[in-house]
Amino acid sequence: METLLPELLRSLVSGLLMGMVFALVALGLTVIFGVMDIVNFAHGEFLMIGMYTTLVTAPFLGVDPTLTLPLAGVVGAALGLACYFGVVQFLLRGPMVAQLLGTFGLMLVLRNVALLFMGSEPRSVHKGWLVGQSWLVGPGVVLESTKLAAAVLSIVSFVAVWWLIRRTKTGMALTATSLDKEGARYVGISTERMNGLSWAIGGASVAIAGGLLVNFWPVDPNVGLLFTMIAFATVALGGFGSIRGAFLAGILIGLIVSLPTVWDAFIRFAGLGDFSIHSFKYTFVYIIYFLIMVIRPQGLFGWKQ
Amino acid sequence: MEAVRNAFDFSDFPRLDLWVAGGVLAFLLVFPALPHSSFAMTIMIQFLMFSLYGMGWNTIGGYAGQVDLGKAQYNGIGAYTTAVMMVRWDVPFWVSMPVGMALAVGWSFIIGYPLFRLKGHYFAIATIATSLILKDVFEVWDFVGAAKGMEIPIRKNLPDFLYLQFKQDYYYYYILLALFLVGLLYLNAFRHSRLGFQLRAIKDNEDVARSLGIDAHWCKIKAYAVATAFVAVVGSFHACYNFNIEPEDVMSLDLSILIAMMALLGGAGSLWGPIIGAAILVPLKSYLGDWLGASAGLVGLNLVIYGGIIMLIAAVQPRGVWGMVEAALARRRGDHGAA
Repeated sequence: METLLPELLRSLVSGLLMGMVFALVALGLTVIFGVMDIVNFAHGEFLMIGMYTTLVTAPFLGVDPTLTLPLAGVVGAALGLACYFGVVQFLLRGPMVAQLLGTFGLMLVLRNVALLFMGSEPRSVHKGWLVGQSWLVGPGVVLESTKLAAAVLSIVSFVAVWWLIRRTKTGMALTATSLDKEGARYVGISTERMNGLSWAIGGASVAIAGGLLVNFWPVDPNVGLLFTMIAFATVALGGFGSIRGAFLAGILIGLIVSLPTVWDAFIRFAGLGDFSIHSFKYTFVYIIYFLIMVIRPQGLFGWKQ
Repeated sequence: MEAVRNAFDFSDFPRLDLWVAGGVLAFLLVFPALPHSSFAMTIMIQFLMFSLYGMGWNTIGGYAGQVDLGKAQYNGIGAYTTAVMMVRWDVPFWVSMPVGMALAVGWSFIIGYPLFRLKGHYFAIATIATSLILKDVFEVWDFVGAAKGMEIPIRKNLPDFLYLQFKQDYYYYYILLALFLVGLLYLNAFRHSRLGFQLRAIKDNEDVARSLGIDAHWCKIKAYAVATAFVAVVGSFHACYNFNIEPEDVMSLDLSILIAMMALLGGAGSLWGPIIGAAILVPLKSYLGDWLGASAGLVGLNLVIYGGIIMLIAAVQPRGVWGMVEAALARRRGDHGAA
């Protein structure tokens, strides 16, 4: 039991922390989807740009990577606004396929602009307040400061967005837009501006997630797709448009991703050979996603269908 | 018998369409005899392959209006069936191709059944998930070569029509062209078939279609199987043409999306749409890559322009290039109501 328990605790903790990061990545997607029913294929690319923003501006400005997070947020919000008013608002006139096509084109453009300027080799942040710090908090359980900070900021962002949507007038206008576009327009809400706002919130939150993620995850121009898929799965699991759902689903997905580590430890412990399922790490996410979609299409906490 | 008659019945198209189609067909038939670079030949083969992919996708995505973004898994099943059978049991292409098709169609029924309980975005994203699951499985499955993939050994006596191995590309070209024409005729019959009409009814308004007694769920599954058959055949061909297949290559999400893109860009739900889409996107992608890609030291610029064009078309005319042509023709004729 001496080896199994710490292993279990460790993957539980790391799964929990990673899950909060996944939740933060998915937050922007669920806000955008909730307000305007559009699937954004370029979501992971927003994350990638947030990662590069921190990576590039920290040495350039001579400050710690952590301090560039507001900048990443601003860049993300600007990017979200630019994408909405430059492209997405024209896509809304068309059918759903036009939206898929258009945001896929957007994804290609963003990814390859990054490739053009940053090159294809993976890069990571090597120094900073958070990098390399860790604490031993239990028997064999190591808490990495990078992941802890990301998790804490994820909670802060969720509370902020939840407060914005539930407790402010603008947030009520956003909710009204997502419930009934026509009705919102009748009572004088500019739905155009609400759509733009949702893209700004979405872009900012995912870019901040990127700025945090780059501390422990190398960035290259193709990093986005995996996170787009995880974000889709998270949003679907939690229910399209549900903020609370996205948070809980993110944690659930973090735990699912850490499952294979537990399994491998168990197999080794029980002496059952080396049947590793580690390479199926993300496959489980897709399988759970598929099952949830078929059994309960509105997700665990969703109200939109 | 009626199906055969329908397959050759192009009478409901305007004469202009048929003249253009005839001209294109003549060009396709004589193309290998014209002076061309091997690069152009590669592009033409790619064009025919993607036309076939797109035509298949058009049955489910165009006529039935279900945005399927998971077609790469069937391409993979077709390609792997042919490769595995050739490498392990020395089975000719013409045997393994129908087997691959049958396996793919069988699999499509299994996952199509739960999949079509979903609609819209939910359906589109779930198809991506199913395709990625299968790809992950193939990446660790030793029997099919895991992530390294499979390599088909080159045979001694070339050209080999049984195993589809040739030195010269024009053999591949003509075989593919034959498949292309069969596919086109099949789709023309499909258009007039009972299933074709049922699907269009479902696309227009599913509730009304159901109230008329159409089993929408079953019709979609059947259309999905037809689309799968097309894609699996091209997958088998791809294995022989490329000799070397790996999961990242034949089952990637990019391929799934590209297949849908061809049909959507050209104009989904019309007979010519996927062909037009492939005729635009394939050369555009290849030539942009050739001019502006790695050789020019500007890696990525070609795909920026490519993505930009896709974005532009989606924003300007969501019904695709064919929609633009129809709108322009209607304007010239002066009747704004049509098209």
